Amino acid sequence: MIHSPNSFHYPPAGRRDFLSWIGNGLGSAALIHLLGRDGALRSAEVPGEASNPPPHHEPKARRAIHIFMCGGLSHVDSFDYKPELTKHHGKSLQTNERPDVFFGKVGLLHKNFWEFKPRGKSGLWVSELFPHTAEIADELTFIHSMAAETSNHTPATFQANSGFRLNGFPVLGSWLSFGMGSETDDLPAYIVLPDPRGLPAGGSINWTNGFLPARHQGVAFQTKGTPIHNLRPARKISAATDLASQELIAAMNRDHLQQRAGNDVLEARVRSYEMAARMQVAVPEVSDLESEPPEIAELYGLHEERTAETARQCLLARRLIERGVRFVQIFAGGAFGRPRNNWDSHENVVEGHGREAGRLDRPLAALVQDMKRRGLLDDTLLLCTSEFGRTPFSQSADDALGAGRDHSQYGFTVFLAGPGLKKGHAFGTTDDVGYKAVENPVTWYDFHATVLHLLGIDHKRLTFYHNGIQRRLTNVHGHVIDGVLA
Amino acid sequence: MALAPSSLAGEEPTNESFFDQHVAPLLVTRCLECHGNTTPKAELNLTTAAGAIKGGESGTVIVPGKPNASYLWERISGDEMPPETPLTPEEKSILHRWIEGGAKWGQDPIDPFLHSGEKRAGYDWWSFQPLRRPDPPIVDDKEAQPLDAFIVDSLQKRGLQPSPRASRRTLVRRLYFALLGLPPTPEEINAFVNNPAPDAYERLADRLLDSPHYGERWARHWLDVARYGESMGFERDRIRPHAWPYRDWVIHAFNTNMPYDEFVRLQLAGDVLYPEDPLAVIASGFLVAAPWDEVGHTQQSQAMRNVVRQDELEDYVGTVAQTFLGLTANCARCHDHKFDPIYQHEYFQLAAALGGVRHGERRSAQGEETDARLAKARVPLTRQIAELEERLEMIDGRGKSRKNATRQRDLASIPPAPKPFALWEFNEDARDSEGDLHGTLHGGARIENGRLILDGKDSFMSTPTTSRTLAAKTLEVWVTLENVNQPGGGVMTIDLNSGKIFDAIVYGEREKRKWSAGSERNQRTKSFRGPREEKADGELVHVAIVYQDDYWVFAYVNGSSYGQPYQSKAVQTFSATYWRVLFGKRSGHPGKDRHFAGSIERAQLHERALSGEEISLAAGQALVTENELISALTLEERAERRNLLVEVSNLRTLHRMLTPRQVYAVVPKQPKPYHRLDRGNPKDPREIVAPGGIAVASATLANFDLKPDAPESERRKKLAEWITHPKNPLTARVIVNRIWHYHFGVGLVDTPNDFGFNGGQPTHPDLLDWLATEFMEQKWSIKWLHKTILTSATYCQSSVANRAARGIDADNRLLWRYPPRRLEAEVLRDSILRVSGALNPTVGGPSVRDFRTYLNNTQFYEPLDQQGYDFQRRSIYRLWARSGRNPLLDVFDCPDPSTTAPKRAVTTTPLQALSLLNDAFVLRVAGLFAARLEQTSTNDSERVQHSYRLAYGREPSETEIKRATAFISEHGLSAFCRVLFNTTEFLYID
Repeated sequence: MIHSPNSFHYPPAGRRDFLSWIGNGLGSAALIHLLGRDGALRSAEVPGEASNPPPHHEPKARRAIHIFMCGGLSHVDSFDYKPELTKHHGKSLQTNERPDVFFGKVGLLHKNFWEFKPRGKSGLWVSELFPHTAEIADELTFIHSMAAETSNHTPATFQANSGFRLNGFPVLGSWLSFGMGSETDDLPAYIVLPDPRGLPAGGSINWTNGFLPARHQGVAFQTKGTPIHNLRPARKISAATDLASQELIAAMNRDHLQQRAGNDVLEARVRSYEMAARMQVAVPEVSDLESEPPEIAELYGLHEERTAETARQCLLARRLIERGVRFVQIFAGGAFGRPRNNWDSHENVVEGHGREAGRLDRPLAALVQDMKRRGLLDDTLLLCTSEFGRTPFSQSADDALGAGRDHSQYGFTVFLAGPGLKKGHAFGTTDDVGYKAVENPVTWYDFHATVLHLLGIDHKRLTFYHNGIQRRLTNVHGHVIDGVLA
Repeated sequence: MALAPSSLAGEEPTNESFFDQHVAPLLVTRCLECHGNTTPKAELNLTTAAGAIKGGESGTVIVPGKPNASYLWERISGDEMPPETPLTPEEKSILHRWIEGGAKWGQDPIDPFLHSGEKRAGYDWWSFQPLRRPDPPIVDDKEAQPLDAFIVDSLQKRGLQPSPRASRRTLVRRLYFALLGLPPTPEEINAFVNNPAPDAYERLADRLLDSPHYGERWARHWLDVARYGESMGFERDRIRPHAWPYRDWVIHAFNTNMPYDEFVRLQLAGDVLYPEDPLAVIASGFLVAAPWDEVGHTQQSQAMRNVVRQDELEDYVGTVAQTFLGLTANCARCHDHKFDPIYQHEYFQLAAALGGVRHGERRSAQGEETDARLAKARVPLTRQIAELEERLEMIDGRGKSRKNATRQRDLASIPPAPKPFALWEFNEDARDSEGDLHGTLHGGARIENGRLILDGKDSFMSTPTTSRTLAAKTLEVWVTLENVNQPGGGVMTIDLNSGKIFDAIVYGEREKRKWSAGSERNQRTKSFRGPREEKADGELVHVAIVYQDDYWVFAYVNGSSYGQPYQSKAVQTFSATYWRVLFGKRSGHPGKDRHFAGSIERAQLHERALSGEEISLAAGQALVTENELISALTLEERAERRNLLVEVSNLRTLHRMLTPRQVYAVVPKQPKPYHRLDRGNPKDPREIVAPGGIAVASATLANFDLKPDAPESERRKKLAEWITHPKNPLTARVIVNRIWHYHFGVGLVDTPNDFGFNGGQPTHPDLLDWLATEFMEQKWSIKWLHKTILTSATYCQSSVANRAARGIDADNRLLWRYPPRRLEAEVLRDSILRVSGALNPTVGGPSVRDFRTYLNNTQFYEPLDQQGYDFQRRSIYRLWARSGRNPLLDVFDCPDPSTTAPKRAVTTTPLQALSLLNDAFVLRVAGLFAARLEQTSTNDSERVQHSYRLAYGREPSETEIKRATAFISEHGLSAFCRVLFNTTEFLYID
């Protein structure tokens, strides 16, 4: 019999206590079903449902926040310093074959639009585009030699998330939910925080479960109204009626179960309503940013117009992670179209990147500082990626110097922070002008393999059978990038 | 590989046959996995005599005649090789004797697919063996049908017994869900439970198999496998407005019990086998139901375009092989299949066979002769439809007059005004208050007193252009005529390329004082034959023109039908280039007969065809909504109306398919000869490959005997011939297993798309073969198969669990009981509507959009709880956009339509609970359910009784009634209906 949500037997905070709690309860079989298949609890702590459950080795990190910069971040204007580019400013790129770019317009080389400086003890180069992030450079690990397989937004975004350019494959967050399960049963394991200005290229396909069970789909927090769809009744229902209804449902479901004793699945249904009730409490609680002290709000720029939306995403991500969510994904950059609302600065880098970095820089740096202060950076990864970079030459006529840059797939930068990584370190290089990765090129397969590795997962062993193949995030590729590991 | 030494007796190890019979199988199963053709470990390749003699990194490994001097023997006898499971003494002895006997080689190279091993399937794999018809085992039970004999026999071998027969009440519910995907009504339950005939159950099965809803239920299963979606997917995900005819064709094929071999043939090659049959052309929609990379196909780089095309071919090859043959042939694109006996060149043979397949839109029939023949074929249908509609109108008339007599509007049943795509209110300016189609005024056009004033000379308003897709649409204006006798012109126009193509609301142009739909040279439009406008000059008129996806054009004036709707030649899709909206000018350049004189107070553009109900509401007319109408009918009238609607819409479905139309189907193109691509890389073409099949599935048939440049049509005809040939060992087994899978939740083989090494082994191989052979004998009749399964004692068992049996077979793979099932997502939604009396039973037709879309480079979809009878259709009729998934269906494991889904997951999650508790649709329909119950009685306990009959198909106990009435008195009936939808009993079938 369910009473008021407040009288639930809340599980104790620690995971081990929680397991003993469910172990003694009526619903243990039911819960196993909810959290995964039989045997899912074999690995003592993480009830995923992979047949070969992680950890496959001692994990460095237990969860991750991923910030995805939609549209293509210009690496040569932000984190990949190329003095040679300045030297060749206004000249043509010297190559054997004409660069294969999206809009086919190869203008003259254009020097960085923002000034670069060496930062912190590490002396890593960060431009004035990211002044706050520059302050925490010593916490970051850069990969300057990323290479993508396409320079087309949607397939590139799919590949950065799922390893495949096509529709229908599970994304990183879904794989983690499947492999590692959740550390909380009050919140979904994989939460997406979209940019209020619109969805990324390909929309919700970027958080699809693909062929994994639907429970591993990313749950997108809505940017307006209640954070989770259907958290509260869509029509007005009094609290008393809502509560009495849930009690009646529980009573009727228990009666039904009693006549069909021993059916785990039906027990799981009873428990799913109890978990739903807890989610109804937990979600508004975690989303209540007003409860944060003023200095935190200040740090993130929560009350400043330019940064407020991204600050909300970053702060919410930290709060979700603290409560045991496995993977939180922030989209920084809105939908494509006009006016430009993301990093896709074809016409004007100063304007486009200025706007986007203005929104992201301070909250991003705040998130790292805040996580560090709270010890979260000891067991949580932060990933900052973009689907590709931007060309060192401007997008203009052959003999002209324009203000915008086209997509560049052959060399670009991503960065990470968190445990198990070489801090204040830069890995891989692009050529002199930042067009192509030349030293230690890194593919998305390698990147994903490395992220999984840090989370205690062998990317070759986290698999799911689908239509004849044991599928994995890294397809048949991928090598852990030792060069970034501490 | 347990060869007793005695079996080798008498054979000479010095003969080549010794090698072929004993050594080669051993090498294949135990060695070639690592020492095979592709990157052999330690550079030792044991597939060829030369390789074996040459040896590897460590030099020679075999010294003929001298086992003890052979490195190979050293490693093997020392149990170092194979690394994980060493050879058995018998196996070792074979190798020893072979080397001793001179290491004579036989077939060279060894066919690595010769035998199944621990890591891969060979030619001897179970599913490739020819079909045979086993005799059913003899079991105790004399009543047992052959199917049951197989099941009982395997149960008894494990010391198990089948469960007793389930109650009639349970069976009727089970059968309705299985065949129709809908719950039975209380009347239907009673009719069956009280039927004393010994064959009552068989007759019920027959009756349900004859229902048009059967096709809807089973088409949904097939569409899962067919990865059917109605948008492009990938980057832009544009809607495919003409994809739905394929869905209707699948429904029709199931309903008419099309023989399965024909069903397969038409989907693979219908358009080339029967080019004059529009149904066959529509059927080819199967091949192109997948996402299609529009942007990828138009990008600048030829190299990247080649990759995109190769990915597309992999989709065809993979889907065809998995769907019909249970073979994952797509895994052999880059190398020989790692697990199944499929060579890489065979992948490219299939790719060549399907290499002319291209996505596109085409007309479903060509030529005047065909058109005439089809027109003739439609005549009797049209007549039948008209007769049925007359009967419908009679019933509706009765309901309407009753409803009007009460004068009480049921506010809950009135849908809110539909949200337009663009809306101009002309309050102070020409802004579009819904989107960005803001107007610019030209000539003397001006805005005054909240109206757009048009002088009929040179004034008009235009909007900027947009490339958003618009096919079905509704144009709606509130307009005042300056002069009813004016020469007339365009009031509102969708204009493409400055008048080259347009759709418009036109006044008085061809016909004085009449409204009409205009199009370029009246290509798609004709007279509505409506009455002449009698309104005094200066009176406000509401005019709407509706263009449906099925080419019907309707006009409404002040919310009532205007004249006669007609079926046009096509519905114009505006998308390819940029189009805009004009007001006051028909199209093209300004001219005297094109301008309209008067004023427009408000105008709306909708990206779908509004229903008459919605138009009437928009016009502010009092009317009876469908939901109100239904509630004013008696139970008998409702049942009759429902049956008539189903019947008439079913006829219309056929009528639509027999009408030449634009369809999304195969638009073939003669391919160039195909090459095998090394590592699947388009930049590395190797030998030319002729179209063909996979030898392991009937070698003789798999040779298509076609040249590499064979005509496109021949390729797919041969492909269809190979797949549907009775000698193909896979086709019948695969479909029989698929149907079994849907009836029992798990197939006899638990991987319906994979009968290869990575797939499951059949739990009852003899039963599978018996069913497959009988099925072909019964002319590939799916309905026969259903009936055989559904009337078996196995299917009719109780679902009650049994502790002892669980201990032996927890997963119930041996079927000692019927497995309790959860309703699939669509069945759940449809059942909620059905028990509430709100399900619109209309069969077929253009898809329903339960979302609104916006275009921002990519097409985005925003789910909506669309209200009104038109949206209360079965879920199969929603528009299945790849990124426009329905959150309620999603959460109940409805698969992503981007990829083939042979099985659905069945999960139980807190998000499901939240959805059923709080979703707008569920709460709204709970209100409709409550309204229905209120009508049946004024007494709460009777209402509760009725609700149990509807939702659960049983009577409530006294305690249950008490509990429920206590709840209702405090919280109301719709709160109780919400509870019912959330109960396990509603969601699960015993």
